[in-house]
Amino acid sequence: MSSAGSLQGEAAARDPHTPSPTLDRPDDYLHAQSTLRSWFLTTDHKRIALLYLASITAFFVVGAVAAGFVRLALVVPDGAIMTNDTYNKAFTIHGVVMVWFFLIPSIPATFGNFLIPLMIGAKDLAFPKLNLASWYVFMTGALFTLAAVVLGGVDTGWTFYAPLSTAFSNTWVLPALIGVTIVGFSSILTGLNFVVTIHTMRAPGMTWFRLPIFVWTHYATSLIFLLATPVITLALILLIAERAFHVGVFDPAYGGDPVLFQHLFWFYSHPAVYIMVLPGMGVISEIVPAFAQKKLFGYRFVAYAAIGLASVTFFVWGHHMFVNGQSDLASLAFSALSFAVAVPSAVKVYNWTATIHKGSLRLDTPMLYAMGYIGLFVLGGLTGLYLATLAINQHIHATYFVVAHFHYIMVGGTVLAFLGGLHFWWPKITGRMYSEPWGRISALFIFIGFNVTFFPQFILGYLGMPRRYATYPPEFQLLNVLSSAGSTILAAGYLFPMVYLVHSLWFGRRAPGNPWDAKGLEWETASPPPPHNFAGVPRVPEVPYDYPIQAPETGRQHT
Amino acid sequence: MSADPAAAGPVGMTRAEHFATIGQQRHAATLGMWAWLLTELLLFAGLFLTALILRLLHPEAVQAAAGHLKFWIGAANTVVLLCSSLTMSAAIELSRLGWQRMMVGCLVATASLGALFLVLKGYEYYADYEEHMMPFLARRPYALAEQPATRLFVNLYYVATALHAVHLLTGIAILVGLTWKASRPGFLQRHQNWIEVYGLYWHFIDLIWIIAFPVLYVVNR
Amino acid sequence: MRNPRPALDAKDRALLWSRLRVPVRTFLALLALLAVNVGLGATRPFEQVWLVELAVVAAMAAIIVLVSMEVRHERPLVRLFAGLGFFWVAILFGMTLTDYLAR
Repeated sequence: MSSAGSLQGEAAARDPHTPSPTLDRPDDYLHAQSTLRSWFLTTDHKRIALLYLASITAFFVVGAVAAGFVRLALVVPDGAIMTNDTYNKAFTIHGVVMVWFFLIPSIPATFGNFLIPLMIGAKDLAFPKLNLASWYVFMTGALFTLAAVVLGGVDTGWTFYAPLSTAFSNTWVLPALIGVTIVGFSSILTGLNFVVTIHTMRAPGMTWFRLPIFVWTHYATSLIFLLATPVITLALILLIAERAFHVGVFDPAYGGDPVLFQHLFWFYSHPAVYIMVLPGMGVISEIVPAFAQKKLFGYRFVAYAAIGLASVTFFVWGHHMFVNGQSDLASLAFSALSFAVAVPSAVKVYNWTATIHKGSLRLDTPMLYAMGYIGLFVLGGLTGLYLATLAINQHIHATYFVVAHFHYIMVGGTVLAFLGGLHFWWPKITGRMYSEPWGRISALFIFIGFNVTFFPQFILGYLGMPRRYATYPPEFQLLNVLSSAGSTILAAGYLFPMVYLVHSLWFGRRAPGNPWDAKGLEWETASPPPPHNFAGVPRVPEVPYDYPIQAPETGRQHT
Repeated sequence: MSADPAAAGPVGMTRAEHFATIGQQRHAATLGMWAWLLTELLLFAGLFLTALILRLLHPEAVQAAAGHLKFWIGAANTVVLLCSSLTMSAAIELSRLGWQRMMVGCLVATASLGALFLVLKGYEYYADYEEHMMPFLARRPYALAEQPATRLFVNLYYVATALHAVHLLTGIAILVGLTWKASRPGFLQRHQNWIEVYGLYWHFIDLIWIIAFPVLYVVNR
Repeated sequence: MRNPRPALDAKDRALLWSRLRVPVRTFLALLALLAVNVGLGATRPFEQVWLVELAVVAAMAAIIVLVSMEVRHERPLVRLFAGLGFFWVAILFGMTLTDYLAR
């Protein structure tokens, strides 16, 4: 390892389009050490990101298989394929695993962990040991819950509403609750680490308005982690106490109020939607300028919109409770405030669109995902306005309209952003290029499969099919079969990347430092980066997103 | 771990590799603890909110239940924690002076006062048990069984005080470990800011009790 | 390293007292406020006494955060974080009460 210093120096001096020399043993973070111990006890944020990536991918597979069972059951209207009990357990596995163990940690714990120090020019996160601890906490809680929902089975759905979860369900609710509570701590630790890192670890010259939007959105997300997660922890503790000791606070039999659980639950779980969406918006804000080769339009407004979303989202949780007996005044206030969410969301969409406008577009795989994201997010967001409207909400509350709406945000938004980010930063993370044709084909499969699966659910919900039922009137069968058929296309789209990305690890072309001609400090270092990220203190450019095309915001155009 | 020239005085800290300066490292540690305390505040805020909602829904039952709480033990325990806050503040000031021996004495006093709180709390639970004021025990008769809504507040009192006790217990355990490390020679040259950062946590746990005491014991009487 | 034991000379004592003045005064102030609250709780002089009691608690909390936890000497960022938590508690309480107070 005596040549380590000189190799890193070379990596920094090299032309960014030339792959790193590989005849010698490479000195990047992947190859610096290779024992199991060096992975499981690592404090390198990049390796911890990969630990998270592997585990959440596994959870994604579990959740997706459960979704497959749900769609399979709904092919027939009379619930003949599986028992109602099995159906309930299947959609609970799907919801619990996807929300708590995939969507919430997905982008922050993987790309956030990997990229935030790189993007701000730091050697690591502020608290590297805490970062590793958060992964162990996550795995402990997640595996505990996974065992409960898969081996035992839970039938409450991911929301664990009382009194079903406390008094009526006779399934393994208690261990599932304990596991989810534990996972909350890992979110808090990750959020804490990001907040402190972004505040204190920025390289000299990296002012707030030179930060990539990805960092801004992760900062906003981390604030939600810190401010919202403890409240769900408390709600779950009370729920555990309720189920184990009959505390009674949520039990109408003693004069308790189940609606109070919903208040505490949604104080977290509505902002949690932005925990899932904001990081995705950060990913899109990186991909779009890179593949338009154009400066991000309205940088400051996109940054402010991230903080705006993270704040406004704490004032709207009651829109989940319009028909649950909450006061008319509360419904009115929550409904009016919910419309406000549309403003920062629209700011972002308009700015991405304006960035694409007159850009020099390359429709590579990450950009395909980004374009898909923008379209689906618009549909998901606009249908959110329907749901925020009190009178319409009465009609479509707890129907498939809601299911379709949040899948357009969660899958059309977060999952597409996750996959887009995975393809965008894959060369940086692994040092290998994947097969571009297969990337484009699977992006197309996912886009088509997603829409065929979920668009019919808008219609089903509008016609009145309630969510979470194992059976439905026969006239809904056509649309349900269409939805199930779409899910098989979607599944294929998910399977392709698992094959060609893994394949690229051994057989992919070596990736240069900056394969996309993208801007940002993470592209200034080698692919994969050295253990301490940069050879020296990185030089921070004065303008973020300093791409060749800068019109029309500034009125100038030079190429 | 590399020694920083700035740390050469009687009091200071060692710079960890991934930080550029001592100042950055110190700032990160303080900010990190405050970020953690934010989460603690929101956690207990949920409990206090639940107490308030119970009061709004069942005013008579909550008053009847609160009348059975051991008001004077609660008050005495508040005094105990105020004393522990004083010794913690003193330990921080002494650590800044570099007076290690006296500082360790103050840390031991702080941990002992914390333990005294738990002993008094345990006695209070015992007295509650004797008075049949533990409605969550399914097999034990409950003194206020005619008013079912009272059990909500009484049970919430147990959840709240137990959650606080868990925090205090954790705090004492960490403090014992910290005191042991702090009694090693040269501790204050290497890790003086640990005392300050830990002090924030201790003060905050006291603060939670100082809010919990009136919310549970006083305003509902 | 200054590590005096067992006796402190006059200069040490003066230094010590100059450092411990604030903590001791804080302690006495908190104790006095607690005495007010305990007195009010024990005697319950009038119906709306809970308002006074909560005001006393707010004063105690402010003293601990600002003085004991030294937020008044911290840089603006830490002050912001300390304030942020209380603001978010206000959101939690305020929005939930729009439901319970209007039912």
